[in-house]
Amino acid sequence: MKFRELWRVSSTVTKEVSFQSVFSTRAGSSLPRRGSTGVAQLVRNAKYNMWISKVLTTIFICAFGFVMFIPQLGQTVFLGTSKEFTIIASVSTFLAAVLFFIVFMGLQVATSLVSSKIADTLSPLPLSKKEVSNVIFLCLIRIFDLPLLAALVVLPTAYLMIGGSIAGGSISVVATIVTEIFALALTIGLARFFYSKVAGGGGRSKWKTVTRFLFMLVWMVPAFGTYFVINFAEVILKSFASFTQVLGPSMELLVLVFPFSFGFLVSYVSNLQAASIPTLALSTMSSVLYVVFAFYCFRWVTTTLRRIGTGRIVGAVRETVKDTIIRPRRPWLGIIRKDLAIASRSPSYAVLFLLPALQVAVLAVSFSSFEAGFVVTTGVLTGISMTTLVLPPTMFSIEGLASSYTRSLPLRKRTLILAKTLLAVFIYSLSVIALLAIALFVKRDFTSEILFGALYLFSIAAASMLELTILARKFWKEGFALGNVYARLSTFMLILVPGYALAWAPMIAAFVAYVLAESFVLPVFLGVALAEFIAMSLIVYRQG
Amino acid sequence: MQDFAVRVEGLVVSYGTFVAVDGLSFNVKNNEVYGLLGPNGAGKTTTLKVLVGVLEPRAGKVEIYDTPISNEVAAKSQIGYVPEEVVLFDSLTPREFFEFTASLRRLEAGAANSRLEKLASAFDITRYFDTPVAALSMGNKQKVAIVAALLHEPRLLILDEPLIGLDARSSKILKELIVFHAKKGGAVIFSTHIMEVAEKLCTKVGIISKGKLIGEGTVDELRKLVKGAEGSLEDIFLKVTEQETGIQELIRALEEE
Repeated sequence: MKFRELWRVSSTVTKEVSFQSVFSTRAGSSLPRRGSTGVAQLVRNAKYNMWISKVLTTIFICAFGFVMFIPQLGQTVFLGTSKEFTIIASVSTFLAAVLFFIVFMGLQVATSLVSSKIADTLSPLPLSKKEVSNVIFLCLIRIFDLPLLAALVVLPTAYLMIGGSIAGGSISVVATIVTEIFALALTIGLARFFYSKVAGGGGRSKWKTVTRFLFMLVWMVPAFGTYFVINFAEVILKSFASFTQVLGPSMELLVLVFPFSFGFLVSYVSNLQAASIPTLALSTMSSVLYVVFAFYCFRWVTTTLRRIGTGRIVGAVRETVKDTIIRPRRPWLGIIRKDLAIASRSPSYAVLFLLPALQVAVLAVSFSSFEAGFVVTTGVLTGISMTTLVLPPTMFSIEGLASSYTRSLPLRKRTLILAKTLLAVFIYSLSVIALLAIALFVKRDFTSEILFGALYLFSIAAASMLELTILARKFWKEGFALGNVYARLSTFMLILVPGYALAWAPMIAAFVAYVLAESFVLPVFLGVALAEFIAMSLIVYRQG
Repeated sequence: MQDFAVRVEGLVVSYGTFVAVDGLSFNVKNNEVYGLLGPNGAGKTTTLKVLVGVLEPRAGKVEIYDTPISNEVAAKSQIGYVPEEVVLFDSLTPREFFEFTASLRRLEAGAANSRLEKLASAFDITRYFDTPVAALSMGNKQKVAIVAALLHEPRLLILDEPLIGLDARSSKILKELIVFHAKKGGAVIFSTHIMEVAEKLCTKVGIISKGKLIGEGTVDELRKLVKGAEGSLEDIFLKVTEQETGIQELIRALEEE
């Protein structure tokens, strides 16, 4: 088969893979039986999702490249270090960022690629095994095309713009290709690992559930890495520039580490006078070794893709079964246990379950430079509430995964609302506990945040109940077909806005009290939060 | 004890402008195995989904043991349902799934476990108990759905194409269970395209086409009603649904190619 035909086939397969990655977060079972428009919309959403993801990553890469290099235009010394050190820092940080961005962007789609049974569809067609593998490889390229291209253009262009040599520019192209191959290998490796150890993992013990959450945490690290890289780009550059200068004689060791080897090589090739011969030799040698390693990584990627193509990678994880005992609980507890089990195997849900606690750490660090007080407290609580209140719609949408079955179960609206609210409140409590742990660790007085945070529990519960009540009224008959945030952005806004309004009401009231009579801040805050909680509890109780 | 397990009157279900079920009425009594037959797209699955509360009708009355289906919890508590497309929570294991359904149905642990052990053994799914549903074959997923439907010993079984994907052993067990369930006072409604199965199991058959009930009764009663259909239920079905004409010509045309 000609390349053009394989490329065309890969387009169809890529669409299917991206559709599957969206489909898994949507009401898979409850697509209206004859609602072709609904299905068409979902297909469009899948396409948009992939494009949004690609374009965002491309923008991040371009923006990061400019943040790294533009300030160096026309300067010989930057950030208090020599220009060659700044170039080492810029090139190395850019390559690390490209690695992060591509891995983070592609992980979900790559997991779909690994877990999808593409082979089942492609194998019966008149295609050879090699052609099937090529189609899957082309799928991978299609998933990452724009970001890969952007990285390949941005680094040499930016480098040449700041006065780099042609030789250095050429090495920066090689360095980018090597980084991209590493990124693809890491993405496929992580996706494969995730699928086999997490998503496809069975077992019944609590330890296995905890382990899955831990794996998930590792899986999410690139996301937070990206966040930090974007937010603290200049700080990273400054720190690295100082770091390389301070290292002095022991710098040779850093020369051996990717991506610094390329950073040194690109920098010294442009300015041979500044280079020490041993450092240049070491960076050349290690860069060559990384190129060789990248070649093997590339071969590993193609072999793995070939295995996907022949359907040998999707293996069922069979656990040894000792008994058939089940432990039925109260309905609300049954729902919570089910949600946790699903979240422990699904990154799109787990990320939200773990986000509030992780976000509190980020917020606590961000606010640590401010004086403790009411403003910091409300800032921290606003941040936590924003992420926590994304949870109820997400948890509600879990029901949609098997709604064609679960809708036939004797489930009350209020039981569902109670279960999801309790889970949201539990996750919020984890955030407050995390805050307490950070306070103890950094020996900072977080008493106000923790006190208000504990009382804020009522408000979070009320806002969760409000969101879930709106959802239950709107989607109960539709079979929980809520969909994901991209698919129905307006719906999510419709739900989140009242939720946020209710959650922020105690803070607004307390702020007014703070301005008028400071001693009433706490009672006013508690009073409004309690009133909201009681009102929403009554509304939910009357749901039936 | 109520005579009617299911009462459906003037049921209308539509998807946008498309009317899938158009004024359907039928009853199912205790001790009855009611077969809902019809060509593809006739409205069988839609009807069954309304009976179990998955879909809301546009008009009509549906009662399960005298309880309107709008009284969701009470009505659904009496039903065991196996959907046509078995879409369960893929990331749960069968054990987690049974725990979830048993919790929602408020089952007592002892009784649930005793029944589960027997059902799991009968349908040979014990070894898959801790394997995620996503990793199971279609047939095993079907078995999980069947076991979940039978776990709470429902009075009414609603089975949509329950035999699809089942191996011969499980298929035989399920057929025996259907007959036994009706004999001991329960009721069963099931849809199928396998006429031989319907003929063997059903005490009453309803044939629907384009959302309307076009024939109902025992196989013998239908045979008497339909002129020229003296053979099997398949002949009666094809005659009633007006699909018989032209079949032979089409087969011949295909054979001549």
